[in-house]
Amino acid sequence: METEEDRPRRELRVTRRTLIKAAGAASAVLGLSGLGLCGYQAGKDPDSYTGCEGLQGAAQSFDRKRFAVDEPHYEKVGPTRRADGRTEVIFSRVDVARSAAQMGKRIEDLDEPFRGYYEQHPEDFELDKQNSELRRKVAEDSPENRNRYILAEAWADAMGAVSPRPIGNEPPEISDFPGQMSRSPFKMKSPAATAKLIKKVSYEFGTVLIGITKLNHDWVYKYPSSRRGFAMNEPIKVPKHWEYAIVVGTPMSWDPMYANPNYGTSNDAYSKSRIVAFRLVSFIKRLGYAARPHTPGNSYDLMVPPIMVDAGLGEQGRHSIVITPELGCNFRPAVVTTNLPMSTDKPIAFGVQDFCKNCKICAEQCPSGAISKADKEVIRGYKRYRLHSSKCFNFWNSNHGSTGCRVCIAACPYTRKSNWVHKTALQVTANDPTGISDKLLAGMQKRFYPGPKPSDFYAATLGGKNASYREPPWWLKTEDFIEL
Amino acid sequence: MGFFESSFFWFIEGLFACLAIIALRTWTQDKGIRMPFWKWPVVIVWVLFLAISIAYIGTSIGEGEMDAAFFGAIFAAVIASISGVVVWRLLRMR
Repeated sequence: METEEDRPRRELRVTRRTLIKAAGAASAVLGLSGLGLCGYQAGKDPDSYTGCEGLQGAAQSFDRKRFAVDEPHYEKVGPTRRADGRTEVIFSRVDVARSAAQMGKRIEDLDEPFRGYYEQHPEDFELDKQNSELRRKVAEDSPENRNRYILAEAWADAMGAVSPRPIGNEPPEISDFPGQMSRSPFKMKSPAATAKLIKKVSYEFGTVLIGITKLNHDWVYKYPSSRRGFAMNEPIKVPKHWEYAIVVGTPMSWDPMYANPNYGTSNDAYSKSRIVAFRLVSFIKRLGYAARPHTPGNSYDLMVPPIMVDAGLGEQGRHSIVITPELGCNFRPAVVTTNLPMSTDKPIAFGVQDFCKNCKICAEQCPSGAISKADKEVIRGYKRYRLHSSKCFNFWNSNHGSTGCRVCIAACPYTRKSNWVHKTALQVTANDPTGISDKLLAGMQKRFYPGPKPSDFYAATLGGKNASYREPPWWLKTEDFIEL
Repeated sequence: MGFFESSFFWFIEGLFACLAIIALRTWTQDKGIRMPFWKWPVVIVWVLFLAISIAYIGTSIGEGEMDAAFFGAIFAAVIASISGVVVWRLLRMR
């Protein structure tokens, strides 16, 4: 039987237990709210701009060794053929078609090699001829629409304003080597140590990604896309000193890239990668070895994506751009060919081929329909997805802002911020052998992260809505800064 | 480094988690609910799901991905409600 003395003690006990329960409930609410706010910060933080988390190699953080493979993912099928840089590179041929359109020329009126190329690809001739007309129609858009991109265009120009000097027109046997004042090559202690040194200095020069591979001659153009010491109509004889390829890559600024078309610009990363490559060339030449930069835009003697694959930086996606574990496809690469002996990196396989087979978001979002939804085809002896470059380039001339498009880069599920959500998704797809997560995550991507209708990306005078993949950042909104 | 990336934040979160677990134990005792070892992981998994869902919604809002936040919230609410009922019934089991 409870006495009068016991009552206060019982009430005290009840009060203490109630207090514990109340404190626990409040802690649960506060703890969960804290996680929500922590998540908000993770999503908003500029430190989550992928590739910009830190230099010194900190951003190249994916554990590639776990996913290293002996053979790259592209499959060699039958005899291979090197690409013709004069015709198969859109920038090399498009001016010929433009002038043909102005002068009323037909395919048979063109000189070789363009006549041969367009005879085999008559659709490309029709598409390539349209570019001047498309640009004229875009220019007819209303001043309100055109003026929205004033800051973006200024920013794009500024990003391309600083550029190393071109390498001139001496043949590689001269231009790639150190001048006569230089000493003979230093004897390096070991290829492994040299590779480590080159990677470290490249990070110091400003690269975010770097890989090293032996150069596969199949990736060198059969004929050059621009001079640089080669005769345009003579096949490139791959110089003996192009033994190794060092590939570097830097990301495009996050917010503008996500607002393509066309608040972003490739000049941004082009410029950074070009500077890294030229610094690297200078460094290697001072050690007495040959080195040659192959840099954006259009100062290449070779195709970069397969070299990136060989160097273990990523896998080539459906959109033909290499997908890296860290940056997705939001990067621009440059290559340095050299005879400096280095140990090389292995290709990696982290699930991109299976993911791209099912995903197709880039093809669905592509305004021009240039990205194939079909299976891989045999192109120049290798199996890969086809990219219709003439369709792609037509869209470059069908929108406002800086040159280009980059919707496929923004829409690719691998091009996401460096935060816990997307890093977890990457690890899940990379480690799931069943393919279930690929389908699940691609489905979530389409539902949770939708983009505008592809036709909306076109300028209003071409039937579009001047849409961008996401809103431009505040500092590229012209109307907030300039009296129009 | 902001507060939410600091070690101090995670220390506070740990403190909250401890208090919540002690409170849960007290509450189940008062309700007469038996808590054998296997019930604790069930509750912890459910709370973790809730925590990750809330963090995902926060992250999506921070990224400016309102569609992701909205669909994520609906998805999480449905799953958390259904699984919450199941967890509650498991807790009430003798």
